[in-house]
Amino acid sequence: MTAGAPAAETAGPAGAAGAAGPPNTRARAVAPARSCLPSRRTLIGVPTALVLVSVSLAAFAPSGQASSPPGAPPKPGKAGSGQAGAPLAPGPAPARPQRGAEAEASTGSSSTGAPSTSGSGAAAATPNTPAEGSGASANQISGGGQAATSPQEPAAKSSPGRVRREKAKRTSPKGEVKTKAQEGQSPPASGSTGTGPVSAPATNAASTSVGSTTTASGTAHPQTPAAPISTQPEPVVGAHSPQAAGRPGHARHGSGAAPRSLAGHAALGGANASAALGPLAALATAPVGEGAPAAGSAPASRRPAGSPRTRPTATRQSPLVTTFTRIVDVVPTPVRVVLIALLVLALGLAVRAWMAALRARRLEQQRAQLLEDVGLLQAALLPQAPARLGPVRTSVAYRPADGPAAGGDFYDVFALDDGGLAVIVGDISGHGREALPHTALVRYTLRAYLEAGLSPRASLQTAGAVLERQLGGSFATVLAATYRPGERRLVYACAGHPPPVILGSLPLAAVTACSAPPLGAGMRTGTRQTVVALPGRSQVCFHTDGVTEARIGAELFGAARLQRTLAEVGPGASATALLDGVAEQVDARPDDMAACLLSIEGGSQAPAALVEELELDRHSAPSERTGRFLRACGVGTREAAEVMLAAQAAARRAGTVVLTLRLGRGAPEVELRQDTVTLLRAARLSDPDNTTDRTEARA
Amino acid sequence: MPSRTETPSSSPGDPQPESLTFALTERQLDERASVVAVEGELDLTTAPRLKWILLDALQAGHSQLVLDLSRCSFMDSTALGVLVGVNRGLDAGARLAIACTRPNVLKIFELSGMDGAFALFATVDQALAYTRGRTAQVGG
Repeated sequence: MTAGAPAAETAGPAGAAGAAGPPNTRARAVAPARSCLPSRRTLIGVPTALVLVSVSLAAFAPSGQASSPPGAPPKPGKAGSGQAGAPLAPGPAPARPQRGAEAEASTGSSSTGAPSTSGSGAAAATPNTPAEGSGASANQISGGGQAATSPQEPAAKSSPGRVRREKAKRTSPKGEVKTKAQEGQSPPASGSTGTGPVSAPATNAASTSVGSTTTASGTAHPQTPAAPISTQPEPVVGAHSPQAAGRPGHARHGSGAAPRSLAGHAALGGANASAALGPLAALATAPVGEGAPAAGSAPASRRPAGSPRTRPTATRQSPLVTTFTRIVDVVPTPVRVVLIALLVLALGLAVRAWMAALRARRLEQQRAQLLEDVGLLQAALLPQAPARLGPVRTSVAYRPADGPAAGGDFYDVFALDDGGLAVIVGDISGHGREALPHTALVRYTLRAYLEAGLSPRASLQTAGAVLERQLGGSFATVLAATYRPGERRLVYACAGHPPPVILGSLPLAAVTACSAPPLGAGMRTGTRQTVVALPGRSQVCFHTDGVTEARIGAELFGAARLQRTLAEVGPGASATALLDGVAEQVDARPDDMAACLLSIEGGSQAPAALVEELELDRHSAPSERTGRFLRACGVGTREAAEVMLAAQAAARRAGTVVLTLRLGRGAPEVELRQDTVTLLRAARLSDPDNTTDRTEARA
Repeated sequence: MPSRTETPSSSPGDPQPESLTFALTERQLDERASVVAVEGELDLTTAPRLKWILLDALQAGHSQLVLDLSRCSFMDSTALGVLVGVNRGLDAGARLAIACTRPNVLKIFELSGMDGAFALFATVDQALAYTRGRTAQVGG
């Protein structure tokens, strides 16, 4: 006994606290010598839930229980006394001991002098077996016991200390427990897990210092869940069985094994049971302790050994839980309350975070889906251009505006049946979602006309007549162009759209006078067309006004800077590189930028040429506007007047006439030809010169 | 001569760059005639204000409407769209004339092909005369 006491003391606070616990509870702990090896059952990974529950119960435990005087020095005599493994019912109800508690206390033969006292009992409680077995443990004289609940029996057996445990089990029916002393182990200090890795070293340390050889290990087999525990608050008594008493060599140490409670495992070691178990042990032992005197005297006051009610349940806990419960045991109540509150808060936040994560994942999936859809739409509106069409390398690029203007630009580049290629670049006056359907409408309409073989001017004129109603008030500036590599001729027509920037052998700048109005503006369009022959290497940049109207300070970027930038990026550059070059220079891009670049290889099949065409009717032929166009083409004033009169005469006969001017080094060649675009169903569009017409009529 | 200013413009000596200054001023000459002057840039953000001041003037019975763009530095396609919409929505007998002398703005009208759609004049007086039906269109 002396040996056991020191061991308990050396065990530190935990052991001391355990000693202070009600001695009458009987806990039988057997700590096998080999238990220092980590048991397989060691619940390293005891579910977090278990820990949480333990904490919760600990926090809820009445403070009085928790306050079982820690630090009370264990008396030698008491140290040996078994403690009851109280089950866990949180409350006052101690566990009702169930039989099956097999307590085996083996005092080591080497124990000095008082093996009986120092012996620690091991109680193995099997919940399902009724209290009969408890009697066995009651017989023990002293229990510095440990109780370990082993959820699984087989596993328990596999641990080194199991041999004794099995033995204990065998003996339990008889109500007799033998304590086997094993050298080098004095478990009292070791807390609830006799076989646990953590406790094992502790026991060793204790034993070495004390020299006690007592081992106690208890195992509880909780096959039946918590039920056993505790409906009855009966103290388990570590009664000394007569037999045990009579056999000093085999001193029996009563030890109660705590049944496994709802909270999990409760392991009670004789002296240190409560310490080891922490709150649980405290709960369990408290009731007992009240009515029970010191452990040493317990045997007398207790129930006879073999009482069916004693039911030590050995609880086995992971080192983690053990440590945790030890810490919790010394936490003041207010702090526990705070901890509980924090725990609840943490749980709440965890649930919230989890739900948020779910929602985020869902939104992420939706976003991916939307992006995919947008990508498809984008591809439909801004198609990929073929990288090369014959001798022409093509590229397209699009950059959304800085602000809210995105969505109005569109383009298309495609091959024609005759070996040529066609280009469409346009901009809807509206922006955003309203513009999207119109961009598709205009683009596909124009593409159909161009593929059907209409010239760019005829395509625009037809589209202007057809789309007037469908555009619903918004209008579209658009450029349609064709390029035929065999003739090296670029033909383009603009409807309210800026002309392309051309880098190459073009001798003259295109004429912008008398430009045709946009589609959907309520006016006849498709009245202008330009034909350019490009003999040498050249680059043609079709673009939207977002490029030329980008800002450098308060200035517009302009076509001149665009042409310079086109020269800077080089003949092999792509449209993307061009727009990047533009974006680097400008301070603001208030509108979308779209560009379509044709890089044409050199050749010399055709001489450079520039032909401007203007369609006139009898009203527009003689007008100040037409005069401006002729003057811009280099026609003298007097010649211009003659040309306009001739055009008016021709238009009266044919309805419309196309005024064609071939520009060159000398005077332009002027030609009038009939090239009326025939509409199957002519739309009544107002003439570009209707204002003049009306004015004239009034005048 | 009643007048109202839709947006206060910067003071004459204000060093603020032109692009940052925008003002719309309406002068109501009489029951039918009104002159709306634009100062600054007409773009995506300012064009809607031009639209409403013009529509309000027409709503108020000012059928002889002159838009003075002599101090307008820039006009984009959005503003053109506003002008097209207002011009097409004119009631019979109502007239809209534009006074503009700035080459860059005239170039915008030309490039967009809209120079033929509006009655363009060099001065506000010529424009007013046109709206009152006394003279024929000069531009075009």
